[in-house]
Amino acid sequence: MHSFSSRPALLRRSAVAGLGIAALALAGCTGSPQPGPTGEPDPDATLRLGLVLEPDNLDIRHTSGAALEQILIDNVYEGLVTRTEENEIVPSLASEYEVSEDGLTYTFTLNEGVTFHGGGELTASDVVETYNQVRSDETLIGHDQLAHVVAVDAPDDRTVVLTLDQPDQNLLFALTGRAGLVFDEGDETDLKTAANGTGPFTLADWSQGDGITFTRNDEYWGEAAGVAAVEVSYIPDFTAGVNAALDGSLDVLTAVQADLAPQLDGQNGFTLTRGATTDKATLAFNNQAAPLDDVRVREALRLAIDHEALVEAVGAATTQYGPIPALDPGYEDLSDVAPFDPERAKELLAEAGQEDLELELTIPSFYGTTVSTFLVSAFNDIGVELKVDPVEFPTWLQDVYTNKDYQLSFVLHVEPRDFGNFANPDYYFGYDNAEVQELYAEATSTVDPDESAELLAQAARIVSEDHAADWLYTGETITAVGPGVAGFPVHSINSRIDLAAVTLATE
Amino acid sequence: MIRYLLTRLTLLAVGLLVASALIFTVLRVLPGDVAQLIAGTQGSAAQVAEIRRQLGLDRPLWEQYADWIGGVLHGDLGVSMLTGSPVADELWEKAQVTLPLGILSMLIALLISVPFGVLSAVRRGRADGTAISVVSQGLAAVPVVWAGMMLVVLFAVVLGWLPAQGFPRSGWAAPGLALRSLMLPALTIGVVEGAMLLRFVRSATLQAVGQDFVRTGAAKGLTRTQALIRHGLPSVGLSIVTVLGLQVAGIVVGAVVIELVFNLPGIGRMLATDVGSRDLVMVQGELLVLTGFVLLIGFVVDLVHHAIDPRQREAG
Repeated sequence: MHSFSSRPALLRRSAVAGLGIAALALAGCTGSPQPGPTGEPDPDATLRLGLVLEPDNLDIRHTSGAALEQILIDNVYEGLVTRTEENEIVPSLASEYEVSEDGLTYTFTLNEGVTFHGGGELTASDVVETYNQVRSDETLIGHDQLAHVVAVDAPDDRTVVLTLDQPDQNLLFALTGRAGLVFDEGDETDLKTAANGTGPFTLADWSQGDGITFTRNDEYWGEAAGVAAVEVSYIPDFTAGVNAALDGSLDVLTAVQADLAPQLDGQNGFTLTRGATTDKATLAFNNQAAPLDDVRVREALRLAIDHEALVEAVGAATTQYGPIPALDPGYEDLSDVAPFDPERAKELLAEAGQEDLELELTIPSFYGTTVSTFLVSAFNDIGVELKVDPVEFPTWLQDVYTNKDYQLSFVLHVEPRDFGNFANPDYYFGYDNAEVQELYAEATSTVDPDESAELLAQAARIVSEDHAADWLYTGETITAVGPGVAGFPVHSINSRIDLAAVTLATE
Repeated sequence: MIRYLLTRLTLLAVGLLVASALIFTVLRVLPGDVAQLIAGTQGSAAQVAEIRRQLGLDRPLWEQYADWIGGVLHGDLGVSMLTGSPVADELWEKAQVTLPLGILSMLIALLISVPFGVLSAVRRGRADGTAISVVSQGLAAVPVVWAGMMLVVLFAVVLGWLPAQGFPRSGWAAPGLALRSLMLPALTIGVVEGAMLLRFVRSATLQAVGQDFVRTGAAKGLTRTQALIRHGLPSVGLSIVTVLGLQVAGIVVGAVVIELVFNLPGIGRMLATDVGSRDLVMVQGELLVLTGFVLLIGFVVDLVHHAIDPRQREAG
């Protein structure tokens, strides 16, 4: 499953805005930092959280996009299992689970006393019904992820058994996402604008174009949430977000754009955290079309990029030289595959007979110009003229993703564990390598996780050596945490923000 | 007068119909598809097709247009493709931010432009009159976004008098808070628009000073200023009404930018978001209502002109 970090088109920022920012920073220097509250967490507190990307609707079953998962999963909706900030799989609605030795039977035991916000009690038949809907309805997100599940049964009220036709190493992780969420059987809530989950928060209000309010679910089966309410404000303009934090309207702001972060660091009691993500900044090559079907051209482009310098320019990132990021199984440092070597790059282009190459990069405009400007100059140094075509995200989706009508493309692939895209020749990368596909299939059907990770690492190395794409960097998320706030998650924030353990001291 | 009114009304209706067809067509030409966005990047072709069918996007275009216009004629703008909520309700909710913002901006623009414009015309050639002219020329050239940033720095960050962004979640239930949060954005639009308007006021006043009726007034024994206020200002008022009418469209456009910069949940920000998510039913409803609003203002300006100006009445 894949989705992208963002969609709205209006994050474009002008040089003019930069002036205002500089002035703000100066003005900020004159104020003395206020000491934050140091008292006990206040159980009646309301946490005010500023986020960037707003969901289009709340229908987590039908609507794609990271914005929905980020805020609704674990807070409002829960699955049998969930994952930690470090992407470890842990039990949630199921108190425990067991995978048979042949990897074909998954047995989950449900927690006692779980109720939906609407009052219904969670039983095994809710799980059976929900999962069968995902299996049978292809408009439900996660449908493909349950492809190997052939039966969902409830031998008793507290037990759910999934039967597979072949082992599926991805299944449990998929169940930590949308495919695994459990809904009340026969419930008629309009999921587009309302919610009926089992989580520690209930959805109190959603005002599109503004924000979402959660209140603590006092009937929650697990440990009660640390704050009484959470007010989420969606602030698409990064500068407006920083202003909101500075004028005291927010307790937490995430993500903070890297070049604005210094304004908040230490101001008004805010501290910054930097979290790891699985955001793969992917420079895709159209492997199917000349001239990028020539591996020498692809390698030349990769060798032209000084990844260390790019990471510095981006400001919140680490290097990533292969398709698998450090948080995912199968990660390996592949920096030896694409060292910065413009001289060798020129030789490769000469060998390929492409000394006079012109290429076009299609990039959704909300990503700004840092990456494209860097690439234009890097490619220029090896004699490749790069034209940049900034487009709206829906246009990218149509031209690049669906019609594969592109040469180079840049987007952030946010989803964890999406290496499978390189084993799918129909994906927009157009990368078709039988050996990689076999290794991936084997990794997926291997029962032992370590063995599976080993196979993924092998496949990832091949993909990188084939220069199927370039991984410019792995993104980091900068979060500004205000005075009195404790327990706010640090990592994987743009796919999951578990708010249950967050507390706020108000005095 | 009635014939005049009928002609104008017909023109208004034709204008709206043409606008509706243009809006509908242009949105269909826009690349990108709401179904694709809903399905995301794991959606199969079959899934996208099914979503398109559910949304009625697979029907012939003329049928979709006829449906839409048929609804509009019955006062029904349709429902959002993404949330299912009625377009009219969403518009009304967001208008409660954008409308007051527009009115406040207008007021500020008038408060700046009329007194200073008249003053700079009357004091033409003297130091203060020239100073006003120069400052207004400068301000009129300032981009709205930049003006906003500067005002935020001054009033929100340095002085801490007004909020830098946002609108209270409770809306107008807390009128004081709501008004305070609109002050900086309105000031931003108002100062820039006011500076532009000032130049019109100035030239209209200068013209009025030279008119026969003002000279006659002066000859009757009024001072020049008295003559100007009594006889000249109505004619100045006429020019202001005309320019204000034209500026409504400018303020609507300005609202898109300003609502993003100040993080206000208004129509401008909603429009930007809905275009981004290709919620075509929402976007076409929003654009039609905005177009209708601008046309209506033009219509009212025409009527006011017609009523005030005896020359136009005779021309009929």
